[in-house]
Amino acid sequence: MNKTYDVIIIGGGIIGTATGYYLAKGGMKVLLLEKNFLTAGSTGRCITGIRQQFSTPTSIQTAMESVRFFSQMKEEFGMDVEWKNSGYLFLAHSEDLVEMFKKNIEIQKSFGLDVEFIQADECKKIVPLLDTDGLVGGAYCPSDGQANPFLTVRGYVEGIRRYGGDIKIKAKVTAIDVNNGRVESVRTAAGNTYTAPMIVNTAGPWAREIGRLASVDLPVEPDRHEALITEGVTYAGIPMLVDYRPDGGYFVQRVSGQFIGCFTPEAKVPGKSTDSTLEFLVEMSRRMCRLVPALKNVAVLRQWAGSYSMTPDGSPIVGETDVKGFYCSVGMCGHGFMLGPALGKYLAQYMTEGVWPIDMDEFAFGRRFGEMESMR
Amino acid sequence: MKDKKDIIICRCQDISLEEIESAIDAGVTDPEELKRFLHVGMGPCQGRTCGRLVSRLIAKKIGKSASEVRQTQQRPPLTTIPIREFLGGGDE
Repeated sequence: MNKTYDVIIIGGGIIGTATGYYLAKGGMKVLLLEKNFLTAGSTGRCITGIRQQFSTPTSIQTAMESVRFFSQMKEEFGMDVEWKNSGYLFLAHSEDLVEMFKKNIEIQKSFGLDVEFIQADECKKIVPLLDTDGLVGGAYCPSDGQANPFLTVRGYVEGIRRYGGDIKIKAKVTAIDVNNGRVESVRTAAGNTYTAPMIVNTAGPWAREIGRLASVDLPVEPDRHEALITEGVTYAGIPMLVDYRPDGGYFVQRVSGQFIGCFTPEAKVPGKSTDSTLEFLVEMSRRMCRLVPALKNVAVLRQWAGSYSMTPDGSPIVGETDVKGFYCSVGMCGHGFMLGPALGKYLAQYMTEGVWPIDMDEFAFGRRFGEMESMR
Repeated sequence: MKDKKDIIICRCQDISLEEIESAIDAGVTDPEELKRFLHVGMGPCQGRTCGRLVSRLIAKKIGKSASEVRQTQQRPPLTTIPIREFLGGGDE
């Protein structure tokens, strides 16, 4: 089978489906290919948090735009994606962190973000169950929040179909044909060829492999992050608590009443493993209870793992590569779900109109990798 | 025959036979995908009650034998465990 489209998207997570949605909505004939099933990669393994507290202008603006999209999805999709502005509270247990948070808050505020540095006693007012031992204060943004990744992707997918696009699952891309420095078509394991003048790599942890098919090297290295979720208890509106200590972590109460959380392992576990460990379960339990001791009475339901697709500077790579018509939106560094809606819109606009709505140099393909995003 | 709306397959998450069959009809025929699509088997029993039922429903709909349809990956812990059990430190 050989079929022609305007755009072919490789990868069925939040990035691929959001990008496909805004392209299809803009009148493009879209094909999305997913090698497994929708949300099978990182999106369906995330812990649902959506924040705007970043340290650089592009990340802050993109995240703020995403929050606007999340808050409008009910109307846009005609379905509820469980968006809730339950907030993010970054906790500072040292003066060094206070200084870093305050510096970032200044930048965030210059873009109009409703973020404040608050003292430990105010943190306690927001989270009465919080143990404030050793806490100096925190960076609190009440408009940050959470949403359901499965429902969000479903909303985008139904939208792509509504606007005439095609979605194929269990469709593994095995080759990308490039002619005279320009993409032409992709071929799948089932032996089909699909032709399009524009191809987008949104393959998450597999971004590097997909890039290589077109001889484009993308410096994206996945590593494993484990997570757990508890049974549901009465919703107490506990925001995402981000503990920046070396043995910290982050967790939030879902609107379902469940607590969901994760920490960045001290020693990186490179690769795409999604195995769980007992060490994580024990360690995460300790870290969660240190902040919210009442959690000791809540039962763990399930643990799992997913990949953070890391770039050298902790920011995504979004735009056209050095092969004409071959675009990428990859290396989300654990922020794909929260940045996805706006990045999808931005890239769709760039691909159709040739201009970015905001300065995207920070995320550019082929940039020199400098300082690391400090609120990663 | 009872209304398919009233037949509950996933008791933890309150998901009916009708919801599951219409999802399968819509093309969600991989148990892993169905789990994410409907949250079937994601409650306190973690699919131990409904997992086989769901796989059999899929098998029947797509004309395969139940053994040809995979079960979702079992995730630890095998049963719900209060967090205090992981805190150690001996008796209070």
